[in-house]
Amino acid sequence: MSNQRQASSASQVPHLSPAELSYLYTSLSLPKTPIRPDGRSPTQFRPLTAETNILPGTNGSARIGFADGTQAIVGVKAEVEKTILSNETLASERGAGPEPTDQEGSTTAAVGGHGSWVQMSIEIPGFRDDDALPVFLSEMMRESLVGAVGTDENSDMTGGLKGRLVINKRWHWRLYIDVLLLSQPLAYPLPLLSLTTHLALLSTKLPKLKSQGEEDPFFDDDWAVAEYLYPRSSPSTGAKISSSSSRPSFVRPPVTLLVISVGENIIFDPNREEIAVADAVLAISITRDTQAGHLRLLSIRTVDPPSRLTQPGVPNSENVNMLGAVAPTDDIAVLNPVTGEEEVPGVWRPRRGGAKRSVISEMVKTVLKKGGVGEEVLEGLEGVEVS
Amino acid sequence: MGITILPPVSDDIIPRHEDDSDDSMSVDSDEDVEMSGLRAPKRARIGNQTLSTGVVTPGEVVTDDPQWMRGHGTYMTPLSTSIIATVAVQSKRWKVDVAAPLLAQLPLSAINLPGGILRRRTSSDELQIRTFFSEGDLVVAEVQSVHQDGAASLHTRSLKYGKLRNGVFLAVTGTGGSGASSNSTKGGVGSNSLRPGAGSGMGGVVRSRRQVWTINTHNGGGEVDVILGVNGYIWISKHADGTAAASSATENVSITRMEEMVSTSIYSSQNDEIIPQTRREIARLAQCIQVLVQSGIRVDEETVMSAYEASLQVDLEVGDEDDEDEDSRHEGREYLEGAKSRRILELVV
Repeated sequence: MSNQRQASSASQVPHLSPAELSYLYTSLSLPKTPIRPDGRSPTQFRPLTAETNILPGTNGSARIGFADGTQAIVGVKAEVEKTILSNETLASERGAGPEPTDQEGSTTAAVGGHGSWVQMSIEIPGFRDDDALPVFLSEMMRESLVGAVGTDENSDMTGGLKGRLVINKRWHWRLYIDVLLLSQPLAYPLPLLSLTTHLALLSTKLPKLKSQGEEDPFFDDDWAVAEYLYPRSSPSTGAKISSSSSRPSFVRPPVTLLVISVGENIIFDPNREEIAVADAVLAISITRDTQAGHLRLLSIRTVDPPSRLTQPGVPNSENVNMLGAVAPTDDIAVLNPVTGEEEVPGVWRPRRGGAKRSVISEMVKTVLKKGGVGEEVLEGLEGVEVS
Repeated sequence: MGITILPPVSDDIIPRHEDDSDDSMSVDSDEDVEMSGLRAPKRARIGNQTLSTGVVTPGEVVTDDPQWMRGHGTYMTPLSTSIIATVAVQSKRWKVDVAAPLLAQLPLSAINLPGGILRRRTSSDELQIRTFFSEGDLVVAEVQSVHQDGAASLHTRSLKYGKLRNGVFLAVTGTGGSGASSNSTKGGVGSNSLRPGAGSGMGGVVRSRRQVWTINTHNGGGEVDVILGVNGYIWISKHADGTAAASSATENVSITRMEEMVSTSIYSSQNDEIIPQTRREIARLAQCIQVLVQSGIRVDEETVMSAYEASLQVDLEVGDEDDEDEDSRHEGREYLEGAKSRRILELVV
């Protein structure tokens, strides 16, 4: 049972006593000015350490360490693979000779690319490869990765990452993204893994193509002229450029952020204790993929809030050990306007989950707005020296 | 600025080797911790393999010294000190996690039952055992005795012991250095990767004269209690005056029943009303302790108090610097990290 619980809520929830939970919840839900246990502002992230290109055998790699001691390494490897043509194309090829006359069938796969060309595996200590959590996480991250489609017509990134992987009609790149969580998953590991994957993809280089058109691919031996998978402005000045409108923006790999709501407040980069009392936990995936540099929302997923499984507190009026000690009028249950449940102030009630529409839309707005959290995170990652 | 991304600090494990004198028999040295990590040079001398790292893999010879005894010299729960524990299991008694190798036990007979001193223990109390302390509750208790095998027996027969409320919990490495277990259970602060140097095993709660004291906080925070459990568990809460706690729950109780009322409030899990200013100061104190722990400074009344004063001073300094921008001044200014924590440490040491 305890194992199932861990897997379902996907984090090792610390065992907090009902009094602690109530204290935390009340502090975090104070109107407008939540008091976080570590004194951060609601949108402030804990400092993290990041480095790229740490694995020599890969096309791109990154390591990120969060302040709570969790660390992840991601390696990206690319390999050239022959594009399997669809049945109709093959049939027409057989009839008409080596050159396909009917372009329709092959172009869909060759120009648009295919989602299965990106393969992702996640390893989390204590979990098997086929456990629900790693499988679910990798699918969630892969989905937003291949789902991000570039709308910029005249760049390499037409069709997003999938389109970038196309070499020509018969050949494509296949990406293997290996994600390794080095520490125990203290909090829900998705944001860490997503940020590390983002950074690894930013640092990924593919060898320069020498062949042209439909020839069999032939690459430049010189690694120095290799091209970034995601085109970069110029690696050294990336951090200095502010988010002015003149800045050329490029398609970027998606980033998934964990956002929680406590009462009416929206809190970013929650630590374990904060997740433990959250009303709603959301994983929001964003990316930047247009010329104008707007952020795009890729997906929102709700995460089972661990506060559901906590131990409830006992109000003094119902505490048998305090019979006669409390005047019956002392504890009046008040209706919590956010959850719509009756609660005695100061007593912990496990959350039933769910959040108001206004709270969720506020969350999305905070992430996406100009100069909002999403831009800050993407810019911070852009600023990491990729060499 | 919402996010800070730092370049990595190389955190190579440098095997720390304090003294060559063979003090492995002294009770206070945490032999088991050192065997697994920090005593690489010594282990290389005992066993005849040369090891370059402090990592031991299964099957590797740790020692072939016949003098060495398993478990000997490991941390024992010290006698007669207040500790904070998590209630875990129960059947006529509670099993509590005290961050020691073995769970301690708190028998039903070792608590004050509500209803006065002359109250007899009955079988109905055994059935209702969960109404006193339940799974997941935090309890402050005193070690009454330590058994042969190292398991401790606790009691709460005093008004200052009982269930904890109105505050926050912190787990740091205790004197005995059983930090590994406290980290895994409560996610202690000892596991911080930003910790400068490999100072683990240095910091932690030190057994000192006073482990429970009250701070008169600034910024309108009122009085705040700090309990430093000798096992590395720390509780910071709003100050609860004994009689005030009773009178808040009971207004029309005769003076003869007062003591009885006080004792019942130790089983309450309902928080009092706490104003935001107090919550803010509690958060500040918790961070001060974390700053101390992360830099390997021992935690006692003196260091906590000076860190708290230092954090207030740092706040004033920072406030002076960027006075022109009201909004950004308040944005996360209570978060003590990086430069702020270094400044605090400068002031403390």
